[in-house]
Amino acid sequence: MDVRKISKIASLALLCVGFAYASGAKEIKLKTPSLKERSVDGAMHYKVKNGVYAGVYRVNTQVDKIKKFNHGRQATKEEIKFNDIDVRYDWQGLPDGKGSVAQGEELYNKNCVMCHGDFGAGGKGYPTLAGGEKSSLKNQLLDPDSGDEPPVKTIGTYWPYASTLWWYVKTGMPFPHPMSLSNDEVYAIVAYLLSLNEIQIDGEDLDDDYVLTKEKLMKVHMPNEDGFYPNVNKYGPEIMKKFLSDPSNYGTQTVRCMKNCPTGKVVHIKHTLDEAINPPVTTKRDLPKETKKEGGANSKYAKLFEAKCSACHTNKAIAPVIGDKEAWAPRIKQGKKTLYTHAIKGFQGMPPKGGNADLSDADVKGIVDYIVSKSK
Amino acid sequence: MKEHNKKVSVSSRRGFFKKIAASAVAATAVAPVALSAKDDALLKEPEWGKKLGDPVNKHLYGMPSPYEHNVIRRTHELLSSGDFYASVAMCPVHELEGIITPNGLFFNRCHGGVAQIDPNEHRLLIHGMVEKPLVLTLEDIKKYPKESRIHFIECPANGSTEWRAPQFNTLQFLKGMMSCAEWTGVRLSHILKDAGIKPGAKWVLAEGADDSHMGRTIPLEKILDDAMVVFAQNGEALRPEQGYPLRLLVPGWEGNLNVKWLKRLEIGDKPWHAKEETSKYTMLMPNGKAVQYFWPMEVNSVITRPCPDYPWTHLKKGDIVEIEGLAWSGHGKIKGVDITFDGGKNWVEAELKGLVLPKAWTRFSYIFKWEGKPLLLASRAYDEVGNVQPTIDQEVGKMGVENIYHRNAIVTWEVKANGEVNNVQIRDYKKEREMIKKDAKEEVKKWM
Repeated sequence: MDVRKISKIASLALLCVGFAYASGAKEIKLKTPSLKERSVDGAMHYKVKNGVYAGVYRVNTQVDKIKKFNHGRQATKEEIKFNDIDVRYDWQGLPDGKGSVAQGEELYNKNCVMCHGDFGAGGKGYPTLAGGEKSSLKNQLLDPDSGDEPPVKTIGTYWPYASTLWWYVKTGMPFPHPMSLSNDEVYAIVAYLLSLNEIQIDGEDLDDDYVLTKEKLMKVHMPNEDGFYPNVNKYGPEIMKKFLSDPSNYGTQTVRCMKNCPTGKVVHIKHTLDEAINPPVTTKRDLPKETKKEGGANSKYAKLFEAKCSACHTNKAIAPVIGDKEAWAPRIKQGKKTLYTHAIKGFQGMPPKGGNADLSDADVKGIVDYIVSKSK
Repeated sequence: MKEHNKKVSVSSRRGFFKKIAASAVAATAVAPVALSAKDDALLKEPEWGKKLGDPVNKHLYGMPSPYEHNVIRRTHELLSSGDFYASVAMCPVHELEGIITPNGLFFNRCHGGVAQIDPNEHRLLIHGMVEKPLVLTLEDIKKYPKESRIHFIECPANGSTEWRAPQFNTLQFLKGMMSCAEWTGVRLSHILKDAGIKPGAKWVLAEGADDSHMGRTIPLEKILDDAMVVFAQNGEALRPEQGYPLRLLVPGWEGNLNVKWLKRLEIGDKPWHAKEETSKYTMLMPNGKAVQYFWPMEVNSVITRPCPDYPWTHLKKGDIVEIEGLAWSGHGKIKGVDITFDGGKNWVEAELKGLVLPKAWTRFSYIFKWEGKPLLLASRAYDEVGNVQPTIDQEVGKMGVENIYHRNAIVTWEVKANGEVNNVQIRDYKKEREMIKKDAKEEVKKWM
């Protein structure tokens, strides 16, 4: 039924370096370049030849003769110090500071619990931070209907280095306003998270009054420190070239099976995810339906809401979502005064001013008015 | 869908598999308009032929036709960490033609929202093991000789919902975490001439200026080979979603490494092991150990016509049509693509068409006579380094299903007699389970 003939012996012969017949299957083994011809990632290493890069792009060859362009200016020590915020696995970059587990718990409950749940248990769509067993990492939930358990990847079961934890909290958290915690506060939160994960330091449990310092943190070895490979710390990037140049390390093949190849059964979609696609997929070519203009979307409080509050108030697992009339009705019923108080002073999972200490009381009230106007 | 919010990451959650009947699969495909004998489009003067169009000063930045309003990125609440700030908007791959993705449709993955940066206030800082630490403004960077190259960027989690079983019946969500553009910028090897690299330097930390301050470790060899700092895509400034005003481009490598809103490059002698190299973007293998770094995106392909979104329901028996698709590899150029009609038992060669560029989308084509017989249609790409796209059994047998990233197994469409197209998988769970059981401890040892 094809208009083309199925076999093209002539062109196949050019590509193949050998045929193999395994259990009746006809296979073509492909030619692979030597390590010398490859880049650090096992990919083809392209060069400029006769002014052409990779055989396709013409390039300016004058630039090779230029030793220095001398653009830009020298960075100052202050600029480097201010921006050098990383903490490497060998602890390069870790600043001084200290904080206790108890302080960390308090800070956690103020800044983190609304997303990561009590005791780092997760449950609101954001990562679970504690719990699980390292032994679970061997679990495979292969067939969704098998009832098997998947691995549990938390700080304690999976992360190889505590340096990552300090770095992550300092520069990435709290999610809506990172770079707002002092170094001492970061130490406290890290102490609390390590204690939740039952990490010991010098054989000592991290009890409530345990004070984590730079020296103590640098002694931490995470339970899964040896759980990662290839060992680039020891061998440098060169080992990756070897690893990535051999596709058998990652399930990719070097043989094209052409005839009588092994196959499997046809598995259809049983548990679809299509329903929650937003908006639903359609390939229709028509005019868009008239949508109501979003009143005041550019107002000051709309913008403040977007910047300061929407990380939680657009996620129904965390907080009542703006525009959700059902969720807001009982709250609105309590009266504006109560809503203002709760928003400014905090209430249950809602931290004072949503964790935005920089907002004035008047701004918070304005945002509350905006949310109410959108949700009734 | 509420129960899904309680779960953690894309493939480690069991709730990901929603327990509903297969019959509830949403019909998303729209049959193309078939011409009937009653077609009178050419027997009347259309409205737009009888009045003036828009004046040329109406849209000073051009917009697509309003009829194209459904050609957009789309989101899904499961493909996020609880909100739409650390999340992804999928590229409508099923709607694209050629190998260039329009800037407004380029997939958008970010970890702390799309930063809106004032280019006048943006600086690139280069420091660490260099003779002269540098501060560069955008104007400084644009003084260096520029290059333009076409490369895809693909998130390593592309297709991660499909490890255990097929779940999406739309190409946009099967493969939409990738796009391909022409990028313009400056090779880092030029800029680093001015900084002067000290002996012993091996690694580079690249960090963004946005809320997530995302840092990633990249070997210096790659940075000096073909990495660029880019400020333009498809002829205009980067879009904010792509890191305006400056992003790193590491051709062929994990999307995540192409750090957006690039602010800082630190040169060092050791890897950093950042959050996206430890807690995430690492591949947990069935033996309980994880591959920590996996840089290139492997050889891959998918048939774009037909696909679940664009089925063959409008064809009649005997129609001669083109089967078309995309192939790509982070290891180099695409060498060829094979096609199967029987679910992978027998394969024939398709033809490549258009530009065949390294680390870029490449189109393939096969002319086919549709006889209304059911097909199990799939493509399989192979690249310049001799890597061949694996079957699901081959890939899962090695990698298991818990590593989330770097899924490049063959994608199969079930084409029914009526022309409907569904995403299916050709696999043998029993065989996979047997393959996975093989302990790989010895294998890990040699890399330690």
